[in-house]
Amino acid sequence: MPKTYEPIATTTLGSSATEINFTSISGSFTDLILVGRFSSTTLIFGGMNLRFNSDSGSNYSYTLLEGTGSAASSARASNTTAMEMGYNGTNDAGQNIIIQIQNYSNTTTNKTAISRYNSPAGQVMSYVGLWRNTAAITSIRFAVNNQALATGSTFTLYGIKAE
Amino acid sequence: MIGNIVAAITDGGEAATDFESIATVTVGAGGSANIEFTSIPSTFQHLQIRYLGRGTFNGGDVEVHMQINSDTGSNYTRHFIYGDGSTAGAGSATSQTKIVLNDVPAATSTSGIFGTTVMDILDYTNTNKNKTVRALIGRDKNGSGVLLLSSFLWSSTSAITSIKIFPSANNFAQYSHFALYGIKG
Amino acid sequence: MPVTYKKIASVTVGAGGAASIDLTSIPATYTDIHCVFSIRGSQAQVYQQLQITFNNTTTGYSQRNLYGDGSTAVSNSLSGNHFFTDGVGANATVSTFGNGSIYVPNYAGSTNKSASLDLVTENNATLAYTQLYALLWSNTAAITSLKITAGSGTLNQHSTAVLYGISKS
Repeated sequence: MPKTYEPIATTTLGSSATEINFTSISGSFTDLILVGRFSSTTLIFGGMNLRFNSDSGSNYSYTLLEGTGSAASSARASNTTAMEMGYNGTNDAGQNIIIQIQNYSNTTTNKTAISRYNSPAGQVMSYVGLWRNTAAITSIRFAVNNQALATGSTFTLYGIKAE
Repeated sequence: MIGNIVAAITDGGEAATDFESIATVTVGAGGSANIEFTSIPSTFQHLQIRYLGRGTFNGGDVEVHMQINSDTGSNYTRHFIYGDGSTAGAGSATSQTKIVLNDVPAATSTSGIFGTTVMDILDYTNTNKNKTVRALIGRDKNGSGVLLLSSFLWSSTSAITSIKIFPSANNFAQYSHFALYGIKG
Repeated sequence: MPVTYKKIASVTVGAGGAASIDLTSIPATYTDIHCVFSIRGSQAQVYQQLQITFNNTTTGYSQRNLYGDGSTAVSNSLSGNHFFTDGVGANATVSTFGNGSIYVPNYAGSTNKSASLDLVTENNATLAYTQLYALLWSNTAAITSLKITAGSGTLNQHSTAVLYGISKS
Protein backbone atom coordinates (compact mmCIF):
# COMPACT_ATOMS: atom_id res chain seq x y z
CA MET A 1 0.00 0.00 0.00
CA PRO A 2 1.45 3.46 -0.84
CA LYS A 3 2.64 5.56 2.04
CA THR A 4 0.32 8.47 1.38
CA TYR A 5 0.81 10.53 4.53
CA GLU A 6 4.21 10.32 6.19
CA PRO A 7 6.33 12.24 8.63
CA ILE A 8 9.53 13.43 7.03
CA ALA A 9 11.31 15.13 9.91
CA THR A 10 10.66 16.74 13.26
CA THR A 11 12.42 19.00 15.72
CA THR A 12 11.76 20.16 19.27
CA LEU A 13 13.95 22.99 20.48
CA GLY A 14 16.06 22.22 23.52
CA SER A 15 16.99 25.90 23.74
CA SER A 16 15.72 29.04 22.09
CA ALA A 17 16.56 29.56 18.46
CA THR A 18 16.01 32.20 15.82
CA GLU A 19 15.11 29.67 13.15
CA ILE A 20 14.64 26.03 12.36
CA ASN A 21 15.66 24.31 9.17
CA PHE A 22 14.53 21.23 7.31
CA THR A 23 17.13 20.06 4.83
CA SER A 24 17.67 17.24 2.36
CA ILE A 25 13.93 17.06 1.68
CA SER A 26 13.26 14.16 -0.63
CA GLY A 27 11.38 14.81 -3.85
CA SER A 28 9.33 11.64 -3.52
CA PHE A 29 6.16 13.28 -2.17
CA THR A 30 3.60 15.52 -3.87
CA ASP A 31 2.82 18.06 -1.16
CA LEU A 32 4.38 19.10 2.12
CA ILE A 33 2.65 20.09 5.34
CA LEU A 34 4.62 21.92 8.02
CA VAL A 35 2.99 21.96 11.46
CA GLY A 36 4.36 24.05 14.29
CA ARG A 37 3.40 24.59 17.91
CA PHE A 38 5.55 27.32 19.39
CA SER A 39 6.13 30.29 21.63
CA SER A 40 8.30 33.27 20.98
CA THR A 41 10.63 34.71 23.56
CA THR A 42 9.98 38.40 23.30
CA LEU A 43 7.09 40.78 22.87
CA ILE A 44 8.28 42.41 19.69
CA PHE A 45 6.04 42.32 16.66
CA GLY A 46 7.29 40.07 13.92
CA GLY A 47 6.42 37.91 10.96
CA MET A 48 6.80 34.16 10.70
CA ASN A 49 8.70 33.57 7.52
CA LEU A 50 9.68 30.79 5.18
CA ARG A 51 12.66 30.67 2.89
CA PHE A 52 13.24 27.89 0.44
CA ASN A 53 16.57 26.51 -0.71
CA SER A 54 18.44 29.31 1.12
CA ASP A 55 17.02 31.89 -1.28
CA SER A 56 17.23 35.28 0.46
CA GLY A 57 16.52 37.29 -2.67
CA SER A 58 13.42 39.41 -3.25
CA ASN A 59 11.63 36.45 -4.76
CA TYR A 60 8.67 36.05 -2.42
CA SER A 61 5.23 37.60 -1.99
CA TYR A 62 2.08 36.98 0.02
CA THR A 63 -1.56 37.91 0.59
CA LEU A 64 -3.17 37.59 3.99
CA LEU A 65 -6.54 37.59 5.73
CA GLU A 66 -6.54 38.55 9.39
CA GLY A 67 -8.84 38.77 12.39
CA THR A 68 -7.43 40.68 15.34
CA GLY A 69 -10.33 40.05 17.66
CA SER A 70 -11.82 43.42 16.83
CA ALA A 71 -11.46 43.83 13.08
CA ALA A 72 -11.11 41.78 9.91
CA SER A 73 -8.56 42.97 7.39
CA SER A 74 -6.39 41.95 4.47
CA ALA A 75 -2.96 42.97 3.28
CA ARG A 76 -0.35 42.02 0.75
CA ALA A 77 3.40 42.39 0.18
CA SER A 78 5.42 41.90 -2.98
CA ASN A 79 9.08 41.27 -3.79
CA THR A 80 9.89 40.30 -0.23
CA THR A 81 12.96 38.40 0.93
CA ALA A 82 10.90 35.73 2.68
CA MET A 83 7.36 34.34 2.52
CA GLU A 84 5.40 35.51 5.55
CA MET A 85 2.98 32.83 6.73
CA GLY A 86 1.99 34.31 10.12
CA TYR A 87 2.44 37.41 12.24
CA ASN A 88 2.85 37.68 15.99
CA GLY A 89 1.55 40.96 17.33
CA THR A 90 1.46 40.16 21.02
CA ASN A 91 2.98 38.05 23.72
CA ASP A 92 1.52 34.64 23.02
CA ALA A 93 2.91 31.38 24.33
CA GLY A 94 0.25 29.40 22.49
CA GLN A 95 0.84 29.84 18.76
CA ASN A 96 0.40 27.25 16.07
CA ILE A 97 0.81 27.18 12.33
CA ILE A 98 -0.12 24.77 9.55
CA ILE A 99 1.51 25.43 6.16
CA GLN A 100 0.62 23.50 3.02
CA ILE A 101 3.07 23.55 0.10
CA GLN A 102 1.72 21.93 -3.02
CA ASN A 103 3.75 20.27 -5.79
CA TYR A 104 6.93 21.29 -4.03
CA SER A 105 9.16 19.06 -6.14
CA ASN A 106 7.81 20.15 -9.51
CA THR A 107 10.56 21.83 -11.58
CA THR A 108 8.28 23.75 -13.96
CA THR A 109 6.05 25.73 -11.62
CA ASN A 110 6.69 28.49 -9.14
CA LYS A 111 5.90 27.42 -5.59
CA THR A 112 2.68 28.36 -3.81
CA ALA A 113 1.94 27.81 -0.13
CA ILE A 114 -1.19 28.36 1.92
CA SER A 115 -1.27 28.63 5.69
CA ARG A 116 -3.39 28.89 8.80
CA TYR A 117 -1.70 30.74 11.62
CA ASN A 118 -3.19 31.00 15.07
CA SER A 119 -2.25 33.29 17.94
CA PRO A 120 -5.16 32.99 20.36
CA ALA A 121 -4.01 36.08 22.24
CA GLY A 122 -3.36 38.00 19.05
CA GLN A 123 -4.53 37.14 15.55
CA VAL A 124 -6.25 34.42 13.59
CA MET A 125 -4.87 34.46 10.07
CA SER A 126 -4.57 32.73 6.75
CA TYR A 127 -1.98 33.40 4.06
CA VAL A 128 -1.23 32.47 0.49
CA GLY A 129 2.36 32.94 -0.60
CA LEU A 130 4.46 32.66 -3.75
CA TRP A 131 8.11 31.81 -4.26
CA ARG A 132 9.08 32.82 -7.77
CA ASN A 133 11.35 29.92 -8.49
CA THR A 134 10.69 26.71 -10.38
CA ALA A 135 13.31 24.69 -8.52
CA ALA A 136 12.21 21.75 -6.44
CA ILE A 137 12.16 22.63 -2.76
CA THR A 138 14.91 20.77 -0.94
CA SER A 139 15.18 22.89 2.20
CA ILE A 140 12.86 25.04 4.28
CA ARG A 141 13.84 27.67 6.84
CA PHE A 142 11.20 28.86 9.30
CA ALA A 143 12.12 31.95 11.29
CA VAL A 144 10.47 34.74 13.26
CA ASN A 145 11.42 38.38 12.82
CA ASN A 146 12.71 40.28 15.83
CA GLN A 147 12.18 37.32 18.11
CA ALA A 148 13.37 33.84 18.91
CA LEU A 149 11.51 30.57 19.08
CA ALA A 150 11.29 29.44 22.68
CA THR A 151 12.56 26.21 24.18
CA GLY A 152 10.03 23.45 23.66
CA SER A 153 8.75 24.79 20.33
CA THR A 154 8.10 21.86 18.05
CA PHE A 155 7.85 21.56 14.26
CA THR A 156 7.06 18.55 12.11
CA LEU A 157 7.24 18.22 8.33
CA TYR A 158 4.87 15.75 6.70
CA GLY A 159 4.70 14.55 3.12
CA ILE A 160 1.58 13.64 1.17
CA LYS A 161 2.01 11.44 -1.85
CA ALA A 162 -0.48 11.23 -4.70
CA GLU A 163 -0.54 7.94 -6.56
CA MET B 1 21.48 30.39 17.42
CA ILE B 2 20.12 28.25 14.63
CA GLY B 3 17.74 25.43 15.50
CA ASN B 4 18.34 21.78 15.06
CA ILE B 5 19.00 20.40 11.63
CA VAL B 6 16.59 17.60 11.16
CA ALA B 7 17.12 14.10 9.86
CA ALA B 8 16.11 13.06 6.36
CA ILE B 9 13.59 10.37 5.53
CA THR B 10 14.11 6.87 6.73
CA ASP B 11 12.37 4.07 4.96
CA GLY B 12 10.93 1.72 7.54
CA GLY B 13 8.75 -0.22 5.15
CA GLU B 14 5.11 0.14 4.16
CA ALA B 15 2.44 0.82 6.72
CA ALA B 16 -1.30 1.31 6.42
CA THR B 17 -2.78 4.79 6.84
CA ASP B 18 -6.34 6.04 6.94
CA PHE B 19 -5.44 8.79 4.45
CA GLU B 20 -5.10 7.28 0.98
CA SER B 21 -4.55 8.50 -2.55
CA ILE B 22 -7.44 7.62 -4.88
CA ALA B 23 -6.58 9.32 -8.18
CA THR B 24 -4.33 12.00 -9.64
CA VAL B 25 -4.41 14.04 -12.83
CA THR B 26 -1.56 16.16 -14.15
CA VAL B 27 -2.49 18.22 -17.20
CA GLY B 28 -0.32 17.57 -20.22
CA ALA B 29 1.01 19.73 -23.01
CA GLY B 30 -2.29 20.19 -24.80
CA GLY B 31 -4.17 21.45 -21.76
CA SER B 32 -7.43 19.99 -20.54
CA ALA B 33 -10.98 21.28 -20.72
CA ASN B 34 -11.87 19.58 -17.48
CA ILE B 35 -10.71 17.18 -14.81
CA GLU B 36 -13.10 14.47 -13.78
CA PHE B 37 -12.81 11.99 -10.98
CA THR B 38 -15.23 9.18 -11.76
CA SER B 39 -16.19 5.90 -10.15
CA ILE B 40 -15.19 7.30 -6.75
CA PRO B 41 -15.21 4.34 -4.39
CA SER B 42 -17.61 4.36 -1.47
CA THR B 43 -15.13 2.77 0.89
CA PHE B 44 -14.00 5.99 2.61
CA GLN B 45 -15.87 8.36 4.87
CA HIS B 46 -14.39 11.66 3.68
CA LEU B 47 -12.72 13.03 0.57
CA GLN B 48 -10.00 15.62 0.18
CA ILE B 49 -9.07 17.29 -3.12
CA ARG B 50 -5.80 19.20 -3.40
CA TYR B 51 -5.04 21.07 -6.57
CA LEU B 52 -2.73 23.54 -8.19
CA GLY B 53 -4.35 25.17 -11.19
CA ARG B 54 -3.73 27.60 -14.03
CA GLY B 55 -5.85 28.32 -17.10
CA THR B 56 -5.18 28.98 -20.78
CA PHE B 57 -7.86 31.66 -21.01
CA ASN B 58 -6.44 34.83 -22.58
CA GLY B 59 -6.73 36.94 -19.47
CA GLY B 60 -5.20 37.45 -16.04
CA ASP B 61 -7.40 34.95 -14.22
CA VAL B 62 -10.09 32.43 -14.98
CA GLU B 63 -12.88 31.16 -12.76
CA VAL B 64 -12.85 27.50 -11.75
CA HIS B 65 -16.08 25.52 -11.41
CA MET B 66 -17.03 22.19 -9.94
CA GLN B 67 -20.02 19.92 -10.43
CA ILE B 68 -20.90 16.74 -8.61
CA ASN B 69 -22.42 13.60 -10.14
CA SER B 70 -22.94 15.47 -13.43
CA ASP B 71 -25.58 17.64 -11.75
CA THR B 72 -26.05 20.80 -13.81
CA GLY B 73 -29.18 21.92 -12.01
CA SER B 74 -29.51 24.96 -9.74
CA ASN B 75 -28.48 22.91 -6.74
CA TYR B 76 -25.36 24.64 -5.50
CA THR B 77 -24.83 27.37 -2.93
CA ARG B 78 -21.67 29.23 -1.99
CA HIS B 79 -20.46 31.26 1.00
CA PHE B 80 -17.04 32.73 1.59
CA ILE B 81 -14.84 35.05 3.60
CA TYR B 82 -11.99 36.58 1.67
CA GLY B 83 -9.00 38.87 1.72
CA ASP B 84 -7.80 40.45 -1.52
CA GLY B 85 -4.78 42.22 -0.18
CA SER B 86 -6.64 45.38 0.80
CA THR B 87 -10.13 44.40 1.85
CA ALA B 88 -11.56 41.61 4.00
CA GLY B 89 -15.11 40.73 3.14
CA ALA B 90 -17.69 38.01 2.77
CA GLY B 91 -20.25 36.96 0.23
CA SER B 92 -22.69 34.34 -0.90
CA ALA B 93 -24.52 33.03 -3.93
CA THR B 94 -27.51 30.71 -3.93
CA SER B 95 -29.21 28.36 -6.39
CA GLN B 96 -26.21 28.15 -8.67
CA THR B 97 -25.70 25.61 -11.47
CA LYS B 98 -22.14 24.93 -10.38
CA ILE B 99 -19.73 25.46 -7.50
CA VAL B 100 -17.50 28.48 -8.10
CA LEU B 101 -14.09 27.72 -6.61
CA ASN B 102 -12.74 31.22 -7.33
CA ASP B 103 -10.13 32.09 -9.92
CA VAL B 104 -6.74 30.73 -10.87
CA PRO B 105 -4.09 32.61 -12.85
CA ALA B 106 -4.49 32.44 -16.61
CA ALA B 107 -2.47 33.09 -19.76
CA THR B 108 -1.51 36.73 -19.29
CA SER B 109 -0.36 36.24 -15.69
CA THR B 110 3.36 35.77 -15.15
CA SER B 111 4.24 32.28 -16.31
CA GLY B 112 4.59 29.50 -13.79
CA ILE B 113 2.19 30.94 -11.23
CA PHE B 114 -0.69 28.70 -10.16
CA GLY B 115 -3.56 28.96 -7.70
CA THR B 116 -3.94 26.46 -4.87
CA THR B 117 -6.89 24.81 -3.14
CA VAL B 118 -7.36 22.27 -0.38
CA MET B 119 -10.96 21.14 0.00
CA ASP B 120 -12.67 18.61 2.25
CA ILE B 121 -15.97 16.83 1.69
CA LEU B 122 -17.18 15.01 4.79
CA ASP B 123 -19.55 12.04 4.76
CA TYR B 124 -19.63 12.01 0.96
CA THR B 125 -21.50 8.70 0.77
CA ASN B 126 -24.12 9.53 3.40
CA THR B 127 -27.59 9.46 1.82
CA ASN B 128 -29.15 11.32 4.76
CA LYS B 129 -27.13 14.47 4.14
CA ASN B 130 -26.76 17.14 1.52
CA LYS B 131 -23.08 17.57 0.81
CA THR B 132 -21.12 20.43 2.35
CA VAL B 133 -17.66 21.28 1.04
CA ARG B 134 -15.07 23.30 2.98
CA ALA B 135 -12.20 24.81 0.97
CA LEU B 136 -9.16 26.98 1.63
CA ILE B 137 -8.35 28.69 -1.67
CA GLY B 138 -5.65 31.12 -2.65
CA ARG B 139 -3.46 32.65 -5.31
CA ASP B 140 -0.69 35.22 -5.01
CA LYS B 141 0.79 36.84 -8.11
CA ASN B 142 3.35 39.18 -6.54
CA GLY B 143 1.20 42.26 -6.60
CA SER B 144 -2.29 40.80 -6.64
CA GLY B 145 -4.11 37.81 -5.29
CA VAL B 146 -6.82 36.62 -3.00
CA LEU B 147 -7.35 34.18 -0.16
CA LEU B 148 -10.69 32.60 0.81
CA LEU B 149 -12.23 30.18 3.22
CA SER B 150 -15.24 28.97 1.26
CA SER B 151 -18.13 26.65 1.83
CA PHE B 152 -20.30 25.04 -0.81
CA LEU B 153 -23.59 23.19 -0.56
CA TRP B 154 -24.70 20.56 -3.04
CA SER B 155 -28.39 20.10 -2.31
CA SER B 156 -28.51 16.39 -2.92
CA THR B 157 -28.42 13.48 -0.53
CA SER B 158 -26.94 11.18 -3.17
CA ALA B 159 -23.61 9.59 -2.53
CA ILE B 160 -20.88 11.33 -4.47
CA THR B 161 -19.54 9.14 -7.26
CA SER B 162 -18.01 11.72 -9.59
CA ILE B 163 -16.55 15.22 -9.39
CA LYS B 164 -15.78 17.44 -12.37
CA ILE B 165 -13.58 20.53 -12.11
CA PHE B 166 -13.34 22.87 -15.09
CA PRO B 167 -12.42 26.43 -15.98
CA SER B 168 -15.16 28.83 -17.04
CA ALA B 169 -13.37 29.35 -20.36
CA ASN B 170 -10.76 27.48 -22.36
CA ASN B 171 -8.63 24.86 -20.64
CA PHE B 172 -6.53 24.10 -17.63
CA ALA B 173 -2.91 24.72 -18.51
CA GLN B 174 -0.13 22.17 -18.59
CA TYR B 175 1.24 21.21 -15.15
CA SER B 176 -2.05 21.90 -13.40
CA HIS B 177 -2.31 19.09 -10.89
CA PHE B 178 -5.37 17.59 -9.19
CA ALA B 179 -5.25 14.91 -6.51
CA LEU B 180 -8.16 13.08 -4.84
CA TYR B 181 -7.66 11.44 -1.46
CA GLY B 182 -9.93 9.26 0.63
CA ILE B 183 -10.00 9.30 4.42
CA LYS B 184 -11.34 6.33 6.28
CA GLY B 185 -13.72 6.66 9.15
CA MET C 1 7.05 2.42 10.52
CA PRO C 2 4.11 3.51 12.70
CA VAL C 3 0.94 4.59 10.99
CA THR C 4 1.02 8.35 10.44
CA TYR C 5 -2.64 9.25 9.94
CA LYS C 6 -4.88 6.89 11.85
CA LYS C 7 -8.45 6.96 13.10
CA ILE C 8 -8.61 6.95 16.88
CA ALA C 9 -12.35 7.29 17.50
CA SER C 10 -15.58 7.91 15.66
CA VAL C 11 -19.12 8.84 16.74
CA THR C 12 -22.34 8.94 14.76
CA VAL C 13 -25.41 10.34 16.48
CA GLY C 14 -28.34 7.94 16.41
CA ALA C 15 -32.08 8.36 16.30
CA GLY C 16 -33.36 10.83 18.86
CA GLY C 17 -30.26 12.97 18.75
CA ALA C 18 -27.69 13.54 21.46
CA ALA C 19 -26.66 16.31 23.80
CA SER C 20 -23.04 15.91 22.81
CA ILE C 21 -20.43 13.94 20.91
CA ASP C 22 -17.68 12.73 23.19
CA LEU C 23 -14.41 11.35 21.84
CA THR C 24 -12.67 9.72 24.77
CA SER C 25 -9.67 7.62 25.72
CA ILE C 26 -7.35 9.49 23.39
CA PRO C 27 -3.96 7.81 23.72
CA ALA C 28 -0.84 9.90 24.15
CA THR C 29 1.02 7.98 21.47
CA TYR C 30 0.50 10.41 18.55
CA THR C 31 1.98 13.83 17.91
CA ASP C 32 -1.06 15.76 16.70
CA ILE C 33 -4.77 15.08 16.66
CA HIS C 34 -7.19 16.08 13.94
CA CYS C 35 -10.96 15.94 14.40
CA VAL C 36 -13.34 16.42 11.49
CA PHE C 37 -17.02 16.79 12.18
CA SER C 38 -20.29 17.12 10.30
CA ILE C 39 -23.03 18.35 12.63
CA ARG C 40 -26.53 19.71 12.58
CA GLY C 41 -28.49 20.71 15.69
CA SER C 42 -32.03 21.35 16.81
CA GLN C 43 -31.60 25.00 17.84
CA ALA C 44 -34.37 27.01 16.16
CA GLN C 45 -31.98 29.23 14.24
CA VAL C 46 -30.03 29.00 11.02
CA TYR C 47 -27.05 28.37 13.29
CA GLN C 48 -26.51 25.96 16.17
CA GLN C 49 -24.27 27.05 19.01
CA LEU C 50 -21.61 24.44 19.64
CA GLN C 51 -19.38 24.20 22.69
CA ILE C 52 -16.05 22.39 22.47
CA THR C 53 -14.17 21.22 25.54
CA PHE C 54 -11.11 19.14 26.34
CA ASN C 55 -10.94 16.62 29.18
CA ASN C 56 -14.37 17.69 30.44
CA THR C 57 -12.85 20.79 31.97
CA THR C 58 -14.74 24.06 32.31
CA THR C 59 -11.98 26.65 32.62
CA GLY C 60 -9.13 28.08 30.59
CA TYR C 61 -10.70 28.56 27.14
CA SER C 62 -9.93 31.59 25.00
CA GLN C 63 -10.19 32.26 21.31
CA ARG C 64 -9.76 34.73 18.46
CA ASN C 65 -12.46 34.54 15.82
CA LEU C 66 -12.73 35.56 12.19
CA TYR C 67 -15.86 34.77 10.24
CA GLY C 68 -18.05 35.69 7.35
CA ASP C 69 -21.83 35.62 7.58
CA GLY C 70 -22.53 35.67 3.88
CA SER C 71 -22.20 39.42 3.57
CA THR C 72 -19.77 40.80 6.16
CA ALA C 73 -16.39 39.79 7.59
CA VAL C 74 -16.22 40.05 11.38
CA SER C 75 -13.57 39.46 14.03
CA ASN C 76 -14.03 39.15 17.77
CA SER C 77 -12.61 37.32 20.75
CA LEU C 78 -14.13 35.25 23.52
CA SER C 79 -13.14 33.43 26.67
CA GLY C 80 -15.00 31.23 29.08
CA ASN C 81 -15.68 27.71 30.17
CA HIS C 82 -15.62 26.24 26.66
CA PHE C 83 -14.79 27.14 23.07
CA PHE C 84 -17.68 28.77 21.23
CA THR C 85 -18.54 28.15 17.61
CA ASP C 86 -21.59 27.95 15.35
CA GLY C 87 -22.82 24.94 13.41
CA VAL C 88 -25.94 24.35 11.34
CA GLY C 89 -29.27 24.82 13.13
CA ALA C 90 -32.83 23.66 12.55
CA ASN C 91 -33.85 26.61 10.38
CA ALA C 92 -31.13 25.99 7.79
CA THR C 93 -31.84 24.14 4.54
CA VAL C 94 -33.08 20.65 5.37
CA SER C 95 -30.63 17.73 5.42
CA THR C 96 -27.73 20.16 5.54
CA PHE C 97 -24.88 19.71 7.98
CA GLY C 98 -21.76 21.72 8.73
CA ASN C 99 -18.16 20.81 7.90
CA GLY C 100 -15.50 21.41 10.54
CA SER C 101 -11.88 20.63 11.32
CA ILE C 102 -9.96 21.01 14.58
CA TYR C 103 -6.21 20.42 14.47
CA VAL C 104 -4.29 20.27 17.74
CA PRO C 105 -0.50 20.05 17.38
CA ASN C 106 1.41 18.50 20.26
CA TYR C 107 -1.81 17.61 22.08
CA ALA C 108 -0.02 15.40 24.62
CA GLY C 109 2.81 17.80 25.38
CA SER C 110 3.39 19.66 28.61
CA THR C 111 2.47 23.14 27.35
CA ASN C 112 -0.88 24.86 27.08
CA LYS C 113 -2.86 23.56 24.14
CA SER C 114 -3.19 25.66 21.02
CA ALA C 115 -5.53 24.62 18.18
CA SER C 116 -6.73 25.62 14.74
CA LEU C 117 -10.45 25.39 13.99
CA ASP C 118 -12.10 25.95 10.62
CA LEU C 119 -15.85 25.44 10.43
CA VAL C 120 -18.37 26.17 7.72
CA THR C 121 -22.13 26.00 7.79
CA GLU C 122 -24.38 26.01 4.79
CA ASN C 123 -27.86 27.17 3.90
CA ASN C 124 -29.51 28.00 0.59
CA ALA C 125 -29.78 31.68 1.56
CA THR C 126 -27.40 34.53 2.27
CA LEU C 127 -26.85 33.69 5.93
CA ALA C 128 -24.30 30.99 6.62
CA TYR C 129 -20.96 31.11 8.39
CA THR C 130 -17.41 30.57 7.19
CA GLN C 131 -15.31 30.60 10.34
CA LEU C 132 -11.64 30.57 11.31
CA TYR C 133 -10.60 30.30 14.95
CA ALA C 134 -7.40 30.47 16.96
CA LEU C 135 -8.01 28.47 20.13
CA LEU C 136 -6.13 28.26 23.41
CA TRP C 137 -6.84 25.87 26.27
CA SER C 138 -4.70 27.12 29.15
CA ASN C 139 -4.00 23.72 30.59
CA THR C 140 -0.76 21.75 30.40
CA ALA C 141 -2.41 18.34 30.69
CA ALA C 142 -2.39 15.96 27.76
CA ILE C 143 -5.70 15.96 25.92
CA THR C 144 -7.48 12.69 26.61
CA SER C 145 -10.96 13.60 25.45
CA LEU C 146 -12.70 16.06 23.15
CA LYS C 147 -16.38 16.87 23.46
CA ILE C 148 -18.71 18.80 21.16
CA THR C 149 -21.90 19.84 22.93
CA ALA C 150 -25.03 21.53 21.67
CA GLY C 151 -25.24 24.93 23.32
CA SER C 152 -28.99 24.75 22.92
CA GLY C 153 -31.16 21.79 22.06
CA THR C 154 -29.46 18.64 20.78
CA LEU C 155 -27.22 17.37 18.00
CA ASN C 156 -29.23 15.71 15.26
CA GLN C 157 -29.17 12.13 14.11
CA HIS C 158 -26.50 11.53 11.43
CA SER C 159 -24.14 14.09 12.96
CA THR C 160 -20.63 12.64 12.92
CA ALA C 161 -17.20 13.28 14.36
CA VAL C 162 -14.02 11.35 13.58
CA LEU C 163 -10.76 11.80 15.44
CA TYR C 164 -7.42 11.00 13.82
CA GLY C 165 -3.97 10.70 15.32
CA ILE C 166 -0.96 11.90 13.36
CA SER C 167 2.49 10.60 14.24
CA LYS C 168 5.74 12.44 13.70
CA SER C 169 7.81 9.25 13.53
